[in-house]
Amino acid sequence: MLTFCGAMVCGAFAETAAIASDATFRADVSEVRVSFSTTDENDRVVDTVLPSDFAIVDQDMVVRDFRSFIRSEYSQLDVVVLVDTSESITPRFQQELAKVLEIIHRTGGVPEESFSIVSFNDVKPVVVCEGNCGKLKLDEQFLIVKSGGLTPLYDSMVFASRMLGRVDDQHTRKILVLFSDGADTISLKSFTEAMDSALENDVAIYSVDVSREPHAARGTMALRSFSANTGGRYFPVEAGTGKIIDAILEDFHATYTVAYKLPNRAAGFHQVRILPTHNLSLQFHCRHGYYYPSNSGN
Amino acid sequence: MRRFLLLVTILAILPIMLLAENRTQEEGTIVRMRMTDCIAPHRAFMSTMSGAAGQLPGELCPEYVLVTDKVVYVIIGKSSDQIVPLAETTRFHFQNNEVLIRVDDARKESHFHVKEMTLRPQWERYQQFAEAAEAMTAAHHHLEGATLVNAQQ
Repeated sequence: MLTFCGAMVCGAFAETAAIASDATFRADVSEVRVSFSTTDENDRVVDTVLPSDFAIVDQDMVVRDFRSFIRSEYSQLDVVVLVDTSESITPRFQQELAKVLEIIHRTGGVPEESFSIVSFNDVKPVVVCEGNCGKLKLDEQFLIVKSGGLTPLYDSMVFASRMLGRVDDQHTRKILVLFSDGADTISLKSFTEAMDSALENDVAIYSVDVSREPHAARGTMALRSFSANTGGRYFPVEAGTGKIIDAILEDFHATYTVAYKLPNRAAGFHQVRILPTHNLSLQFHCRHGYYYPSNSGN
Repeated sequence: MRRFLLLVTILAILPIMLLAENRTQEEGTIVRMRMTDCIAPHRAFMSTMSGAAGQLPGELCPEYVLVTDKVVYVIIGKSSDQIVPLAETTRFHFQNNEVLIRVDDARKESHFHVKEMTLRPQWERYQQFAEAAEAMTAAHHHLEGATLVNAQQ
């Protein structure tokens, strides 16, 4: 997509740069690819979507003519669970997290090596497990992490996004499950940098809000924004494990990719939205944009 | 007597015909959409036409460019949730200087302020200029990149 369009454009230029030592080739990036999932008014995933059901708004241009429209060819998931383990938060979701891990493993589709847990509650994020999470006991693992009052949320998100971005495979859907209240107290990175890092690395953020007042807190708005802009979803922790897992797996199986002609070559961030053409109760979840490089040639 | 009856009939039918004329559905296609500052209600049409639009900072409303055969309208919703389906064809009509669009089977029609009106040929000319300018900018970037590569060799 240039929902995962970012991947497409960046990929094209990475290839150009690799060859550049001997000769210079210029690729004409003229196509945007966007992957998305769809939900109805009850927040249930819509399995079958037609091209006539939606239009794309790229910057402010409405696009209805698509070059292609196919089911996404994701064959596997790559999941990082990012956990805020500061003292005030941990007891409230540890049980939910344990269930998430258990169900993900039981459901399948996530090979052992594609599953990691990262926690943060000090100045830096800590990799709790990477590729061997199934063998660990959560209680013991989280005791290893020192208790502290600091919350480097944005730094940890950048860290986790880069971790997921190491695998450059179009067939892998990269998921960041974020257990947090959305608050950040010490990061060197900003909110925008955390968002950009997720977009650059094609990461969809599924945030689980563990704050006490989920509808008022500023952190809640931040979590909603992360999810909405990356094509993930937002849940209050009360929604329960089942709903979170269902959403991740349903999105994984019911994702479409649409390709369209690049509407304009303005360098910089192109905002993308998918909007319905007739049924206004449909909601389309996709990344909210991509970067078009300034030296892309014509 | 017959002439008098004819006159009365015409006088009776005329307002209905005028009303019907006024409510004639028009068709157009939405080609652009963005969220922008809402316009204060009392400053809508006249003030925007005079170039002194009163905007409500902070609140964002949807703005659409609606292209018809002869005229291109820029219309703006009155609230953030006035989303119009982006179908190929949008049917609308005018009432009190506002564009009214019925969304699906909704009971009420959505009211939109008219922010701009342009004759279509004029709008198309402007689009051509904009596209040409964009192509020149892209070509300029391309040349800059090529110069840089040459300089490095």
